[in-house]
Order: sequence, then C-alpha cells, then structure tokens
Amino acid sequence: MTEPPIRVMVVDDHPMWRDAVERDLQAAGFDVVGVAANGSEAVARFPAARPQVLVLDLQIPAPNGVEVTAEVLRHDPSARVLILSASGEQADVLEAVKAGATGYLVKSASREELLDAVRRVAAGDTVFTPGLAGLVLGEYRRLSEPAAADPANPELTERETEVLKMVAKGLSYRQIADRLVLSHRTVQNHVQNTLRKLQMHNRVELTRYAIEQGLDDADA
Amino acid sequence: MVLVANAVGLNVYRADNYQRPVAGLVLVAVMIGWTAFTVWAYADPARRTRVVLGLDLAVALALLLASPLVKGAGFSATVPGFWVMGALLAWAVHWRWRGGLVAALVLAVSDLAIREDVSQTNYGNAYLLVIGGVVIGGLAESLQRMAEQRDTAEREAAAAAERARLARAVHDGVLQVLALVQRRGSELGGDAAELGRLAGEQETVLRGLIHAQDAVPADGVAGTVDVAAELARLERPGVVVAGPGVPVELAGQAGRELVAAVRACLDNVERHAPGARSWVLLEAVGDRIEVSVRDDGPGIPEGRLSEAADQGRLGVSESIRGRVADLGGTATLTTGPEGTEWEISVPREGR
Repeated sequence: MTEPPIRVMVVDDHPMWRDAVERDLQAAGFDVVGVAANGSEAVARFPAARPQVLVLDLQIPAPNGVEVTAEVLRHDPSARVLILSASGEQADVLEAVKAGATGYLVKSASREELLDAVRRVAAGDTVFTPGLAGLVLGEYRRLSEPAAADPANPELTERETEVLKMVAKGLSYRQIADRLVLSHRTVQNHVQNTLRKLQMHNRVELTRYAIEQGLDDADA
Repeated sequence: MVLVANAVGLNVYRADNYQRPVAGLVLVAVMIGWTAFTVWAYADPARRTRVVLGLDLAVALALLLASPLVKGAGFSATVPGFWVMGALLAWAVHWRWRGGLVAALVLAVSDLAIREDVSQTNYGNAYLLVIGGVVIGGLAESLQRMAEQRDTAEREAAAAAERARLARAVHDGVLQVLALVQRRGSELGGDAAELGRLAGEQETVLRGLIHAQDAVPADGVAGTVDVAAELARLERPGVVVAGPGVPVELAGQAGRELVAAVRACLDNVERHAPGARSWVLLEAVGDRIEVSVRDDGPGIPEGRLSEAADQGRLGVSESIRGRVADLGGTATLTTGPEGTEWEISVPREGR
C-alpha cells in the first residue's frame, strides 16, 4: 500500500464494541486516530484527531449521533460519517442521513462489510442498506404528498426513484447497473443525488426555521 | 371585586336610607377590607382553610344581620346586598354542592329573617341564592373530576413514554451484545459459530419487534392495521424488510389479507428456494399501497406454473393473486435466473 492509511475515529458507548471495531480496523490497515464513548467526547476530540471517516453509533450519551453528525460536518465538511447502529431506530437513522451522514450499516453486518463500507465512505461513495433506501424513498413520498406540497421540496427524477427502489429491494449497484444498462458510476451518482437533495433541503429548512425564530440575529 | 363595587355604589346611592350613616360607613369599609383579604387569601390553595371560609361566611352573615340596625327596620336592601355571593361561591367551590347548599340556606334564612315583611322579590332572591349555591357546587365538582381524569391520562401517557424509552435503552444494550456475539462467533468458527448464528437470529427477531413496537402509538385508529409494523415482524435471517419508517394504515381485513399474502410469498421462497435471501419493500404511493417481495433464488422454471394449473392444482401463486384481487388490487410475478419478484399493489381506502 503506497497510499497513506485512511484515518478513522470510532464513537461507541459500548466498550466491547468500540474495541472490536477498533481492532478490526487496525488489523485491516486503517489508522484509528481517535475513539470516544459519548457525544461530547466525540465533538471535543474530532478537531485534533481530524479523521476522514467517523464510525458513529447513533445511541450514545448526549449529544446523540444525529447532533454529533451535524456538529462534526459543520467543523469539517470534507469528513464522512458512517452510522453503525444496533437497533436501526428508523427515525434517528433518517435524521442522521439528513444531517449529512453518507453511510449506514446495522451492527450485525460482518467484519468484511464494515471494512468495505469504511473504504467506500472514505472514497466519497454512499453506503445504503435496503432499509435506509426504503426510509429515504418514504421521505420523498411524504414530501410530495398534497398535504405537504411545497415547491421548495426536493423531488426525485424518475431514474433516481427507479434506482433507489432497486436498492431498497436488495439489488447491488452492480445488478442495478446491469438491469438498467448503466455504468456502476452512474448508479452510484444517482444514489448519491437522492441523499444530497435531502441534506440540502434539510439545511434550507433549518435556516428557514432559524430565521423564523430570529436565531439568525445571534450569528450576525 | 365587582360585587364589592356594586355594593359600595348602591350604598352611596342610597345613603339617605341610613339611619346611622357612620355605622353604615364602617360596615362598607369592613366589606372592602374583607374583600381585599379574601382575594389575597383565596389566591393560594394553601390559605383556603376552613377558618378563612368560615370567617368569610360569618362576615357576610354579620353584615347582613347588621343591616336592620343601621338602616332601620323598614329597609328594602341589606348593606352587603349581592356581596354575600362571594362567600357563597367560595363555599360552593370548596365543599361542592353541599357547601353551596349550606351557605345559601344560612344566608337566605337570615336575609328573610331580618326583614319585617317578605316581598315576592325578596323570596325570589333567596330562592335563587339557594339554587345558585347548589348548581355552582355541582359544577365545581364535575370540573374537578374532569381535571382529575385529565391528570390521570397525562400521567399514564408520560408513564407509557418512559416505559418505551427504557425499553429502547434495554433493547439497544441487548442488541449490541447479540450482534457482537454473532460477529465474533462466526470469526471463531466451530461451536462458537453456532452460538453466533443463534445470536444473529435472536437479534433479527428483536429488531423486528422493536420496529413493530415503535409503530404502536398510531394503533389508536380504530379498526385499521399498521401494515408497516406487521411486515416488520416478518423480518428474520435472510429476510430484509424495508418501509417508509411511518405507520401505513389499512382497513383491518384488507390489512390482514395483505400481510398474509406477503407471508405466503415468503413461505413460498423458503419452500422452493431454500437458502435464498428475500427483500420486502413497502411503499405508500398516493392512494395505493405497494409491496414488493423479491428473492435471489433460481427462479421458477418455465412452464411450471401452467403445468400446475393444467393438473387442476391451485398453485400458491394463484392463491396470492386471488387474495390480492379480492382487495381490488393487482399482483404481478416476474421470474428469471436472477430470482423471483412479486409486485403487489392495493388501493388505500378512505383516503
């Protein structure tokens, strides 16, 4: 390996898990630059450790995984967040993704799946599970319902919907590329776009909320 | 306050009625002072003691009885007039309809007793006083009962939310350990691998249960089934269920039929393609509910379905189609070497 190893930080309140993940990552040649057992440690250690990838458990002592995701990405937008969750709390997972996380795995994933996910997230890819794809699809469907209709709401193109649906049905990017006669890269881009639009929309919503609440004055 | 202003005003207006104006002035001053005191005393529940309430009624009574002394025997209106209502209301609110009745009777009887001749108006006023006391007491009682019921409901809701939070915390810990055992077990091999496999099965079952439980609060809608929660229960090793993360309600019978159809699809995979993995995707698209069940098995051999039909056997696929058709929906089957997929679409009623 001529490339420098990928810098990773592991955040998990469960010591057994934290150690296991750290060991696996180190054994596979990753550089574990930091660990944290809760949200405040994670946020405090992140700037000095400067990881490329944050492997983050959602259920940690406050601030929770969603807030940590938003906070570290505000500090370093080039960092990537991979959510590793035991229970897959659906609402939390969706919020974390909206806050900017680009990968999601359940803890029952094998070691190889985890290592592969860290590599892909570090490279800028998004790591979806069928479950996450289902949640994202559901979120777009809700945003497009007449009751919630707002011209500012993000919409998926037909192709993006098609691809996301296939991910939710458990097809791999390779299988999707074959079925739709697209390149692997194009499929990857479509999937990425679905997340990017949601994240952008989330930022706009937060800003709008802040302005409505008059919180923007504090920053000005 | 309004009552005291009214009484003071009336007394000033009728000042010439007083035989002893100074004594009358003293009585009015007492009235104002006592009103100020009661406003302060009743503001805090801790100060609403029997003594204060008793005194309140006693002062009202004393003012009432003093009327003939300062105004002369042939007076038409008592010094406090309607002001006595203050004490009456306090009794009614505090001791419910019984308190209201007692206070009203005491006041009414003394009011009538001090008059030389009882006119119809006097009697009417006294009568209203008694009725009013009882009615307000009754109202106070039912108000309090409602407040108690509301408090109970709020306490129950808070307890349920706390239970759910605790359950999540406990489950999360259990899931962590199960996932870890599964992971390490499969790496160690041998007996440990078997333990790991068992842990993995339990982990999947528990996760499915939690997802189903998360959706429980929406269960309140009468007679509907949350298809999202029911399908989440079908998750097991080799079966992944994806949904929108919010409840998807369908009328009871239709909901149960849809879930049964999906279960039949999954059972079919297990029977004909053992070891194959399945994915279930639930979507609510406008006024329709769409469910896809896909597996990565070898697919159904060509001619197999029509062969079954020719032999007069109603295959599983026909029973699935029939079920969905009964719901006014459609079920389409695609199969190939890459696996088999059922796409079920049913209308969402009442929307």
